[in-house]
Amino acid sequence: MSDASNGPSLGGPDDLSERERAAVSALVRAMADDEFVLAERYTEWQVRSPTLESDLALSNVAQDEYGHARLWYDLLGDFGESEADLIWEADPSDFRHATLVELPFPDGDWADAVLRSYLFDVYEKLNLEALEDSSYPRIRDRVGKVQSEEEYHREHAENWLERLCADEEGRGHVQQAVDRLFPYALTLFVPTDRESAIVEFGIRTEPLDSLREDWFAEVIPFLESLGIDLPVTDEGVVEAELPEKIGRRGDHTDHWPELFAAFTHTYREMDLDEPPRLMEDPDDVG
Amino acid sequence: MNVSETKDRAGPRAFGPGDDVPREYREAATRMIQFHANSEIMGAYLERPFIRQAPSLDRKLAFSAKVQDEIGHGQLLYRAAEELGIKTREEMLTELAEGEGKFLNCFHYPMDSWYETPMIGFFVDGAAMRRQATLKNTSWEPYAHAMDKICFEEGFHIKHGESILRELATGSTAQREKLQEAFDEWWPRILQFFGPTDDQSTHHDFAAEVGLKQVSNDELRTAFLNAYLPKAERYGLEIPDEPRITYDEDADRYEVRESDLDWDEFWQVAKNDYQGSHEQIGTRADAREAVEWVRAAIEGDGPGSSPTEAAGAAD
Amino acid sequence: MIWEVFRQEESGDYHTHCGNVHAPDRDMALAFAQIQHARRMPANSLWVVPKDEIGEVDADEAAFGGTTDKAYRWAQTFNTDEDFAEEIAESQREQEAAERKREDRA
Repeated sequence: MSDASNGPSLGGPDDLSERERAAVSALVRAMADDEFVLAERYTEWQVRSPTLESDLALSNVAQDEYGHARLWYDLLGDFGESEADLIWEADPSDFRHATLVELPFPDGDWADAVLRSYLFDVYEKLNLEALEDSSYPRIRDRVGKVQSEEEYHREHAENWLERLCADEEGRGHVQQAVDRLFPYALTLFVPTDRESAIVEFGIRTEPLDSLREDWFAEVIPFLESLGIDLPVTDEGVVEAELPEKIGRRGDHTDHWPELFAAFTHTYREMDLDEPPRLMEDPDDVG
Repeated sequence: MNVSETKDRAGPRAFGPGDDVPREYREAATRMIQFHANSEIMGAYLERPFIRQAPSLDRKLAFSAKVQDEIGHGQLLYRAAEELGIKTREEMLTELAEGEGKFLNCFHYPMDSWYETPMIGFFVDGAAMRRQATLKNTSWEPYAHAMDKICFEEGFHIKHGESILRELATGSTAQREKLQEAFDEWWPRILQFFGPTDDQSTHHDFAAEVGLKQVSNDELRTAFLNAYLPKAERYGLEIPDEPRITYDEDADRYEVRESDLDWDEFWQVAKNDYQGSHEQIGTRADAREAVEWVRAAIEGDGPGSSPTEAAGAAD
Repeated sequence: MIWEVFRQEESGDYHTHCGNVHAPDRDMALAFAQIQHARRMPANSLWVVPKDEIGEVDADEAAFGGTTDKAYRWAQTFNTDEDFAEEIAESQREQEAAERKREDRA
């Protein structure tokens, strides 16, 4: 767990000003949606992974990510937004996940699965480090739990990338996945419209621009060491451009409406008033 | 060891990889365990779409964990079968993909709606769990070990299934009607889970004689009905008129009028010749083929593969 | 070479680590292990594994079982009844025992 933040602490959910609340909400909504949609895509690999063992490992990653989403959605619950409001009864354009995570996997493209995981997990690591000393205690208190699980995800992804790239054909698949996903990974660093408030209030202690530079400093050398070509000049200038749809402003790709319809299907068909709960409120768990 | 010695020595966990059990035993055990492993995989395959369709975060987690467990169980069971030295895991998975591998009847049928999930998640899994508990005493030790772990994990599967059943059974009229429809459709298949018991197959006799099977199908079906019929009734489900089921109090067993069930369909399913069989097997085979490149990529030498593997292969 | 030795006390048990032997190859390791680890204590079977082949991850490096709420995979989370079938009740008892062990360590 982290030390108390360097700046003034923001207090609890009821102590926040309108601006502070909006900033927390924007940050947390993006994080929660990222985790949820990423997990949703990961589960597509269950019973379809290359080996039984890899099936088990990715299932575990998926469940961890749902668990993280749950923790972050719960913080929005502090502001009166229920799981139904945020997911099942939401409008698809309410979602603020980066479009990286909503992309479908091409058939059999395990390289995409592990690369997407890697690109996201490094972002996640940097993001969480910048939240360790968040001025908002509710975020600070949950970061540690999420961090230790994310470490496994990143190591798992790195191991896979190393193994795949040790083989020529494998490396070819990884290269193709990089070519397709790298621009989308940049969407992780596009700010929401509350970014200046998020930084001003110390809710995140680093601005996204800075996280992006740290991300480049890690993923570029790693992938290049595996023999992957990246859209980076010799001087280290990244030449990739953002895709048309970013996600952070509710603008999503054509894949999103279909995915949204699929996971809300049963909820709507059964005409539920609320999503069935099995587990305790995160605040009540040890 | 010859067959008659094997029969004499047969008992719970009596034989392990170090024992020189006869080929007939190895083949019977492989058949049995392979069927079980295949069923875990195909059951998981049938249920996986419901991870996406689950109507809450918590239910999604439970479904994902359940499907994950089933793959894990498959992994344990293929290993237990491999130890018999008849087939490798790869061979068994290939047979499954090519339509040669046999698996439980229930998993040959499509599952299209959330209302059907308790049929598998409560009733079929409940039947399987009853059977698995008896297999803790099977004579092939690696199989029994696998059962220890499987039985440890499976309790949550049935309870999760029952919690969905309860939700639907205490829901709106429309929900209860759809639930009943699903039950009507699945009930005969659930009963056929135990196979035709009037007519004992030769495989069963041998399996029982060498301690692989501990309990007859008829006994298993009675135990299942004892526990699950009252549950179905408690949730307001009407038990279909057919197949006719009567309880014989003196014998403490349920008499199921097996001629009321469609055994032609059952045997078609058993040969992987049913419509649903082709779909389930085929689409899964496609998915498996699509990731063949990954298995090929990781097969070669690399960190972690060791000289002792080569030494071992020479044995 | 160092070979780690695992012994199975009776047929049906799991093999448990019981020590090691120094030997130049597997056959010698098996021969030595029989003397060193099964001379007095009855055993049903011994395994030997080259020490270098053993990979390890421990609780300092890995948060076994995860750090966020995993209640969704425990039988005791579901408030339906388990006593109607003994095998379900037993599964739940085993899971409750495992949960208690995890809590003791935490």
